[in-house]
Amino acid sequence: MKSTWMIGGEAGFGIMTTGILMAKIANRLGYSVFDYIEYPSLIRGGHNSYKLTLSDEKVYCLQENINILVCLNEETWKFHQTQLEDNAVVVFDSEIFKPQSSKKLQMLDIPTGKMLKELNGQVVMKNTIALGASCALLGINFQDVNMLLSETFEKKGKEVVDYNRQFAKRGYDYVIDRYKALIQPVLSQNKNNKQLLLTGNEAFALGAVIGDCRFYAAYPMTPSSSVLTVLADWQRKTQMVVRHSEDEIAVVSSALGASFAGARSAVGSSGGGFALMVESLSFSGIAEIPLVVFLSQRPGPATGMPTWTEQGDLLFAVNAGHGEFPKIVLAAGDIEEMIFLTAKAFNLAEIYQLPVIVMSDMYLSESHATITQSILDNIKNNYKVNRGKTIDFVNEGKYSRYQITEDGISPRLIPGLKDYYYQANSYEHLQDGHTTEDSNERIAQVKKRTVKINTYLKNDFSTPLVYGNLERAKIVLVGWGSIKGILLETQKQIPDCAVIHFNHVYPLDKEKVIKLFNQDKRYVLVENNSTGQFGKLLQMEIGIEIKEKVLRYDGRPITVKEVMVKVK
Amino acid sequence: MQDFSGYTPTWCPGCGDWGIGIAIKSALAQMGLSPSDVGVVFGIGCSGNMNDFLNAYAIHGLHGRAIPTAIGYKLANHKMPIIVVAGDGDCYGEGGNHFLHACRGNHDITVIIHDNRVYGLTTGQVAPTAMKGALSKSTPYGLIESPIDPLGLALTQGATFISQSFAGDAQHMISMIKSAINHKGFSLVNVLQPCVTFNKINGYQYYRKRVYKLIDNKVNNKDRAMKIIQDIEKEKYPLGIIYQNQQSSYHEQLPQLTKQTLIKNEKFVDFKLIERDFI
Repeated sequence: MKSTWMIGGEAGFGIMTTGILMAKIANRLGYSVFDYIEYPSLIRGGHNSYKLTLSDEKVYCLQENINILVCLNEETWKFHQTQLEDNAVVVFDSEIFKPQSSKKLQMLDIPTGKMLKELNGQVVMKNTIALGASCALLGINFQDVNMLLSETFEKKGKEVVDYNRQFAKRGYDYVIDRYKALIQPVLSQNKNNKQLLLTGNEAFALGAVIGDCRFYAAYPMTPSSSVLTVLADWQRKTQMVVRHSEDEIAVVSSALGASFAGARSAVGSSGGGFALMVESLSFSGIAEIPLVVFLSQRPGPATGMPTWTEQGDLLFAVNAGHGEFPKIVLAAGDIEEMIFLTAKAFNLAEIYQLPVIVMSDMYLSESHATITQSILDNIKNNYKVNRGKTIDFVNEGKYSRYQITEDGISPRLIPGLKDYYYQANSYEHLQDGHTTEDSNERIAQVKKRTVKINTYLKNDFSTPLVYGNLERAKIVLVGWGSIKGILLETQKQIPDCAVIHFNHVYPLDKEKVIKLFNQDKRYVLVENNSTGQFGKLLQMEIGIEIKEKVLRYDGRPITVKEVMVKVK
Repeated sequence: MQDFSGYTPTWCPGCGDWGIGIAIKSALAQMGLSPSDVGVVFGIGCSGNMNDFLNAYAIHGLHGRAIPTAIGYKLANHKMPIIVVAGDGDCYGEGGNHFLHACRGNHDITVIIHDNRVYGLTTGQVAPTAMKGALSKSTPYGLIESPIDPLGLALTQGATFISQSFAGDAQHMISMIKSAINHKGFSLVNVLQPCVTFNKINGYQYYRKRVYKLIDNKVNNKDRAMKIIQDIEKEKYPLGIIYQNQQSSYHEQLPQLTKQTLIKNEKFVDFKLIERDFI
C-alpha cells in the first residue's frame, strides 16, 4: 500500500520539521519513504511544502499524486490541488479558508485556530496538531507518535515534551472522534524492519566516515551545507577535523595540505563554490595529491535558483581545472549508492592520487529516504581502506615522489620519515619532485599521469547497471546520478522497458559501455538539465548519440508522468 | 645547514632572497632540525622558487594559497613545525583574505614574507606593498593606491607574533625566524627585501638609512605595537619583535588532537554513535 502525504504552509513555521517527524515515524515503523522539500531561498515568508511518499514496498521516488494534503494556509491548496488523487483527503481549517473543487475529495475541517486558543499555544503548534491528525489518518498508533515526540524533545525537558504531546493528541483525537471513515491505514502495522532515514548529504557524511575521512573543510552553500553541519556535529565522536574556512579556495587548499600530510581529506560545495576551487583541483592533478570533492548541484548559472534542483554541472565537473590531468567523477543514484560510492571515492583518491568528484544535486542531497540497517552494515563490513601505494617507509636508497611506473602510480611517502624529504610540486617536475621545463621529462610525467586512467578503467571502473532485461527491451531509458529512482519507477509502468544507469560517469570505458548501446532499440536519455550533458559526454567518450531526450530544467525534478508522456 | 641546501639558487646576483634563504637554513640548523623534521609550503614567485633550493617535506603550491595549505598541513600533523615562504604579492595580494583569517585563527604556522614591494618573477609590476606613486610596468603613470599595512593588519586581526627583519642583516633574520618558529601560534616575519632588478627605490641603501632595531622588550603591548607600526608611514622601519602574546593556538583547542596527530589517530569504528541520529 502506497500513499503520498503533503503538508504546506508559510516558510519559517516549522513545515519541514513536521514533515521530517512524519518520515521518522514511518521509518521507525519499517516503511520505505521518499520525501521532497520545496522552499524558496528565504528564511521567513514565502511558501514551503513538504511531500512524502510512503509504502510497505521500496519507494524509488516521489509519487506525484497526493493522497493526503494538509493545508496550513490557502496557498497550499492553490498550488497543489491539481495533484490530488480522487478521494484524497484535504485537511484544512475553515476559519482560514474553504477549499472548493469539482473533484471528488474528502474534506477534513479541523479547527486548528480554535484549538490553539483553548490550549494557549503558539502558531507553530498548528503543525503539531496537523501531525497528530495526519498520524491518525494513516492509522498510526498514538503510542508511536508519543515515543517520537518524547525522543525528539527530551533534550529540551519534560515540559516541552508534554507541551507538544497535548497538541498532537488533540489533532489525533479529533480525527478518531469525527472522521474515522477517512482513515487510510497505510502505516497501521509495525513492520519490525530495522532501518535508517537519511538524506543524500547525510549519506555522504556517513560514507566519508566509513571511508576514514580525517579532514573535511567547507564553506556553506545550498544544497551542500548540511554535510558540513553533520560532520561538524559528529567531530568529537569521529575525531575528524571539520573546518568552516573563510572561502572555498581556503577550503580546498587546506584539504590539499592535510592530504599531503597523510590525512584522507574532502571538501564540499555547490557549483559556485566548486568553481572557486578548480585551480586547486588542477594542482591536485599535477602534484598528485588525493582529494575527494562533494559537488551538490543546483540550477545555475551564477547564484541561479539556490534551493532547487538541476543536473547542470556534469560537463563542468568533468572538465574542471586548467591543463590536462586525470580525475574521476562519480554520481550517486540514491542514498545507498551515495554511502558506497563516497567510501569508495576515498580509496580511489589514494590509489590513483588524484581528485575524485562525488556528484549530487538538491533532489538527492536534501530528500530523505530509507535504507535497511542490514544493507548499511554490508557496506561497512565489506569496506576495506585501500591506500594504494601510500607508504610510510622506504625500503632502501633514494626515494622519488614522481617515479615513472608502468601503471602510472608512484609510491607516495607520508611526510615525516627520518632521513627523507621531498616536495609536491605544482610546477612540472622531475621524478624527484624538482621543477623542470625539460621536454623529455615533461612528456614522461604527462604520460605517467595519463596512464593512471587506464589503470583505473581496468581495475576500478564499474560499468553502468542495467535494470530489467536489455535483450528483450524495446525501450531503454538512460540516465546518470539522482535520476535513478525516477527511471526505475517509470520502468515498472512501461512494458519491455530497461534502464541503463551510470554512477561511474567519468572517465568511461568505451569497450565496456558501447556494448550496451549498439543494439537496435529505442534509447531515451533522461536528464535534469537543458542540454543533455550526459548525452554529450557519451558522444565524446563512446561515440554514440542518443537522439530522443527527456529534459527538464525549471529547477524541479523530472516526474514519472513526464517521462511516460514523452515515451508513449 | 648543508643538509637543507638543495639546488643552487637562480636568484639575481645581489637579490635579498639569497640572504633570506641562508637565514632560514641557518635558523633551522641552529634549532637542531633536519629536513625530515620540517614542513615548508612555498608560494609562487621568486621567493617560492626557494622550493628547489631548500630541502624539507615541502609543497610548492599555488600563488596566494600557501597559508591555507599550511594550515591543513599543520592540522593533519601538528607535531611538525610548518613554515610558509612566500612573497608580499602572494600573501598580501592574491591571498590577502587567507592572511587575515590565519591571524584570527592563531594557527601555529610561521609565515616568512619576502617583502620587496614589487613583482619580480613577472618582471616588474607593483606589489600591494609598493609606495604610492610607484612607477612600474603595470603603473606607468604611478601607483594610485597607498601601500597595504601588513603588520597593522596582523595586529588588528589577532596574530600573536609579529616581527620584521631586513634581508641585509642575516643575524637579525636568524634570530627572528627562530623566535617565530618557537612561538606557539601564528607568527609573522615580514622581511624587507631589496629587489635589485625591478625595484630601484627600496634598495639596500634605502633601507640601511631607515631601519632601526627595537630595544625595549615590552612586546605584549598592543598600543606600543601600533605606535611602532605607524613609524612605517614616515619611512622609518622597525626591526624586531613588534608584538608577541601567548594564546592557545587553533589546533590546541581541538580535543581530537590532544592525544596524537590526526594522521596517527585510530580509524573510527563505533558507528552506533552516529547512526542513532537517523532512527
